[in-house]
Amino acid sequence: MVDPATTPLGKMLLDEITPVVMVLRTPLVEESCLKNGLSLLQILTPFSNFNNIDVPVRTSSDQPYRLQKFKLRLFYESDIRQPNLEVAKERLKQVITQAGEKDLSELCSDPPQLSNVVSSTESENLPSWFQFFNKELIHTVSFSDHEAFDHPVACLLVVSSKDEQPINRFIDLFNTNKLPSLLNDGSMDPKILKHYLLVHDNQDGSSEKAAKILTEMRSTFGPNECRLLCINSSQDGQIDHQDNPWDLYKPDTSPSQHLGCFLNIDDFNEIKDLMQELSSKHIIPYMEQKIRVLNQQVSATRKGFRNQLKNLWWRKGKDDTFDSPTGSMYTFSSIESQIRILGDYAFMLRDYELALSNYRLISTDYKLDKAWKRYAGVQEMMGLTYFMLDQSRKEAEYCMENAFSTYLKTGSSGQQNSTRCGLWWVEMLKARDQCKEAATVYFRICGEEPLYSAVMLEQASYCYLLSKPPMLHKYGFHLILSGDRYKKCDQIKHAIRTYRSATSVYRGTTWGHIKDHIHFHIGQWYALLGMYDVAVAHMLEVLACSNESKTTQEVFLRDFLQIVQKTGKTFEVLKLQLPVINISSLKVIFEDHRTYASPAAASVKESLWYSLEEDMTPSLSTTRSNWLELQSKVIPKKYKESNICVAGEAVKVDIEFKNPLQIPISISSVTLICELSVKSDEIESDSNSSTSEPRNDVESQKLTATKYTMDGSSDISSFTLSEIDISIGGGETIMVQLMVTPKVEGILNIVGVRWKLSGSVVGLYKFESNLVKKKIARGRRNANYSSGNDLKFIVIKSLPKLEGIIHSLPERAYTGHLRQLVLELRNQSEFPVKNLKMKVSQPRFLSVGMHDELDTKFPACLEKKTNSELSGADGNCSRVPQAVFLFPEDISIHGETPLSWPLWLHAAVPGNISLYITIYYEMGDTSSIIKYRTLRMHYNLQVLPSLNVLFQISPCPSRLKHFLVHLDVMNQTISESFQIHQLSTVGHQWEISLLQPFDTIFPLQSLYAGQALSCFFMLKNCGEESISSDIISSPSRILGNDASLQGSSDTLFDISGSPLADFHHCERLQQRVSSQDDPNAVDFILISRPPKSDTVSGISDPQYIYSHHACHCSTSGTGPITWLIDGPRTMHHNFFASFCEIDLRMTIYNSSDTAVFIRVNTYDSPNSNGQSSDVTTHSNCCSYRKSIRMA
Amino acid sequence: MIVCVAVVGHQNNPLYIQSFTEEDDALKLHHIVHCSLDVVDERVNNPKKSGPTLNETFLGLLYPTENYKVYGYLTNTKVKFILVTTDLDVRDADVRNFFRRFHAAYVDAVSNPFHIPGKKITSKTFSERVSAIVKSFGLSSAG
Repeated sequence: MVDPATTPLGKMLLDEITPVVMVLRTPLVEESCLKNGLSLLQILTPFSNFNNIDVPVRTSSDQPYRLQKFKLRLFYESDIRQPNLEVAKERLKQVITQAGEKDLSELCSDPPQLSNVVSSTESENLPSWFQFFNKELIHTVSFSDHEAFDHPVACLLVVSSKDEQPINRFIDLFNTNKLPSLLNDGSMDPKILKHYLLVHDNQDGSSEKAAKILTEMRSTFGPNECRLLCINSSQDGQIDHQDNPWDLYKPDTSPSQHLGCFLNIDDFNEIKDLMQELSSKHIIPYMEQKIRVLNQQVSATRKGFRNQLKNLWWRKGKDDTFDSPTGSMYTFSSIESQIRILGDYAFMLRDYELALSNYRLISTDYKLDKAWKRYAGVQEMMGLTYFMLDQSRKEAEYCMENAFSTYLKTGSSGQQNSTRCGLWWVEMLKARDQCKEAATVYFRICGEEPLYSAVMLEQASYCYLLSKPPMLHKYGFHLILSGDRYKKCDQIKHAIRTYRSATSVYRGTTWGHIKDHIHFHIGQWYALLGMYDVAVAHMLEVLACSNESKTTQEVFLRDFLQIVQKTGKTFEVLKLQLPVINISSLKVIFEDHRTYASPAAASVKESLWYSLEEDMTPSLSTTRSNWLELQSKVIPKKYKESNICVAGEAVKVDIEFKNPLQIPISISSVTLICELSVKSDEIESDSNSSTSEPRNDVESQKLTATKYTMDGSSDISSFTLSEIDISIGGGETIMVQLMVTPKVEGILNIVGVRWKLSGSVVGLYKFESNLVKKKIARGRRNANYSSGNDLKFIVIKSLPKLEGIIHSLPERAYTGHLRQLVLELRNQSEFPVKNLKMKVSQPRFLSVGMHDELDTKFPACLEKKTNSELSGADGNCSRVPQAVFLFPEDISIHGETPLSWPLWLHAAVPGNISLYITIYYEMGDTSSIIKYRTLRMHYNLQVLPSLNVLFQISPCPSRLKHFLVHLDVMNQTISESFQIHQLSTVGHQWEISLLQPFDTIFPLQSLYAGQALSCFFMLKNCGEESISSDIISSPSRILGNDASLQGSSDTLFDISGSPLADFHHCERLQQRVSSQDDPNAVDFILISRPPKSDTVSGISDPQYIYSHHACHCSTSGTGPITWLIDGPRTMHHNFFASFCEIDLRMTIYNSSDTAVFIRVNTYDSPNSNGQSSDVTTHSNCCSYRKSIRMA
Repeated sequence: MIVCVAVVGHQNNPLYIQSFTEEDDALKLHHIVHCSLDVVDERVNNPKKSGPTLNETFLGLLYPTENYKVYGYLTNTKVKFILVTTDLDVRDADVRNFFRRFHAAYVDAVSNPFHIPGKKITSKTFSERVSAIVKSFGLSSAG
């Protein structure tokens, strides 16, 4: 255990609880002293602190001990009174404010890291002014009447030799009405030790007169009590003291002023001797004496069993008569005060045992008397005595706690005392490393006065920090509490300091609510101080406060913008948190040899395009390697892996902005940040000659253009940027497409994105800083690219680029929808493109027409023509649908003239259909790096169900090779109505006809929504084998037979026409059930039209029809054999004549290709044996005649 | 009345804080909860002081502030539950009972396969259940 005296508290006690000497002086004395720039008190003070006084002391016991350290506290008589509370407050406030000013420089620096704070030692952490403040706070309660250690022990009367009648002056000085109230109101003995000092200023002449006065004094006041002090012995006032002792005690002097400049070494020593003698020869013996006297007195009256009993009895009696809480009835002569003086004197002379026993004695008395303040004071001293004795910690703490709470009980007057008591208590706990407990005491000290409690709370927080293990959460909390109180007292700098310290606790944690609060307030306070830059930095932290309430967010944003406005600057903030950028959504769309007609096309998976284009791009591997070779010549190796984009064509970047707040924010001027380094021609030629050293030859000139206006400076820049203004609602996420269009060749690097929040703060976001996870829109490239390269582009010179659009493609259609579309291709550049090829992903839905079909009118062109024309039309439709459609060689597109080409759309089946179209073309100009490009188009088509068509075919019971076709049509749409136009069969061998006139079964012209229709057809197989097989081999030649369902008014559609036949072929392929084609299967095409508008003229017919294809409808029933028995229906016969013989004719038809063995059994009658006959048919009909004889 | 309940993760990260007061004192309660973590740490690291309550999840009264009493509970996964109440005379049994039910609710909430461990608990069901538990707090003893 360390010696209690060396602890901070011990030092403080040895400093504070020492004998007080009251100094009385005449004005002339003061005048002489002031020549040195010091008052008398200031001259004496440095010499009243003795480190090695070495005085033997004997108190109550017989064993003397030696005092080494000793101190006298000197006060003028006017200062010996309780300090004015208001003045004291003002003074303390000043102390705090000054401390705040001093720390100002630190405010701009970064707040300390938590780990540093924890590891650093106590002295580094604690602001030094705390100690000073605590001392000042303790001094506010000095010279109280309830304790004796502040009562003057001695009195120093000082008269100048210049004074008239010095002896009288001495007597006058101790005039009662000038003395402090303590001596007058009876709380202390007015008969105190007096020491008479005559000050002689050597500048006023020789000291002879003074010596004379001294002898006179000695005869009047006694020989030992008088002394002469000569000062200002130096005549010129140029004495410059080494280690000037007064500097310490008067720190606020200017350095030019020499303190004690008239005091030479003799004066110096004389003052020293004076003080030494005063304490060792007068004060200490006086105190010893007094202690012994008092001790005897106390022993006589209070010690011993009899005295205690007497005291108790007497107290009890007194208790009835007195009930004064102030305890002012204790005059100096009362035994209680005497004991207290005894205790305090013993304490001051370090006889702690004696002090303690007396404090104990008096403590019970005061308690019985309910003199709480005095009781608390004694308890306080007991605690300190225990501490100094280093005994019984528990007792010490108990006493302090008791004193503390008792002080508090005494009301407002005790508040100050309790604070002092608390501070001592805290020091006591700190000395014993009980920091945590100390912190709670600090917490208890803080009363209503917010300023003091702020300081106390801050000290408490440091206690938590210093406790082992450190309690960081509490550290932070108390700092915040303290900061709040500082703010209440307008100590903004202190408030900022505490809050800043607190940030280190919360940094890196997820306690967002607290963090937001701290940063917001620091920001606000900095703004109050006018330090807007730092304020903005802190405010930035709270911007993305998604978990705060809406009003809080509004306040945060508003205040932030206000502060930013006050700075009058445009801030560029890297990683501004508002809005949040979803980096994983970053998607770069660029066009090298692949171009896209629409954004939708660009978002389609590369692999899909790849599979579509695979057989179209001619011998890909060789082209590719050539292309690479070519590239490696032109482009340095370093950039070989970079992407390629074409000058003049925009690179698009999709990125998501998310507003984390609940309030809308407005973002303006969203642009990309790009760099374009331009290659110079010479270097390029160099690189051509030496490809082995490509490293150094890249960029000669780097243009970094960041543009704020769209058009203003576009001329000077080597690229243009698109600019977007958006407003993001609360919690919304907006995908933004930004574009950069390079204008010259070089290396384009997309660095990041910038935006302006609410028109005042510019946010930057660098893509490289994060790991770019680009959605790979490029499947062909290797996956293991470094992220940086994805945003790096080689800009090559501009190329022709086709733009394509399909006109009149509906977004949704009903099943069966058949119409003509027009593909329009444009090439904006001068250079022509050639060798166009096209491929469609779904030929079932989209087929390519012929160029001359463009002018024809649909559906009129499909209508059946006269026979002579028909043969001509046949030639047209002999086309086989190809996988890749080659445009005629002579087509080249350039300049103004677009190319239009017909397409046919047939909505074959319901569902969401994605149509992918890719068009390949080659550059007319072969010098460029890219030889060919592809245009990719993507459309989505929603196909709704329309008519549900069902065919049921059953053999006709009465005729061979005739079938009954039962057609069920159900309109599945909600609102649409259809006009059934015709039903056609495909193939020569089939003939179809209506069983009944259509008007009778279906008088309404249209089939309305939800309606169903069923009707019967007669289907006749009239064909021969040869034709049937012909159909299978060349399905393009479709000839059919049609049954009109519309009466005779309308012409029928020719199903062998170009689009219908093509689509039918696709349908056949799609609807194929088995690998083997059934030769007896029949294909139906049901053609319907949208209902004709009621208005007779003016509105042209709709440009589309509906065609429903039902393929491979099997005509055969259970087997290939059909048979029919025919005979007379009625027969009249006279059975008397003979048997009746009826000729029945049985026709058996084998529809299969192979020979069939047929056996016919008859079961005529039970008595006759069944006859059987065997026939072999070979794909033919055979008639078998049989006579039935009936009895 | 219970003014605040909180779930704090094993890295002292808040997983769930819900206050049940009318006035706007969320910040204060956040601070109180945050502050009490020190005491939890102390209790856990110095089991001697807690003596017989060694290996028990219920940590007891953490500390009394001016107007509140703060109780703590530590699960096996070092997740802390903090309860702040304004009732100045609370029976330990009530608090224990509360924490037991709260623990059950918490376990159910984090058993949700869509809950990411270590992330804030956003389950509506959980907060409803917690509100119910909070409302019923102290009623059992009265009835």
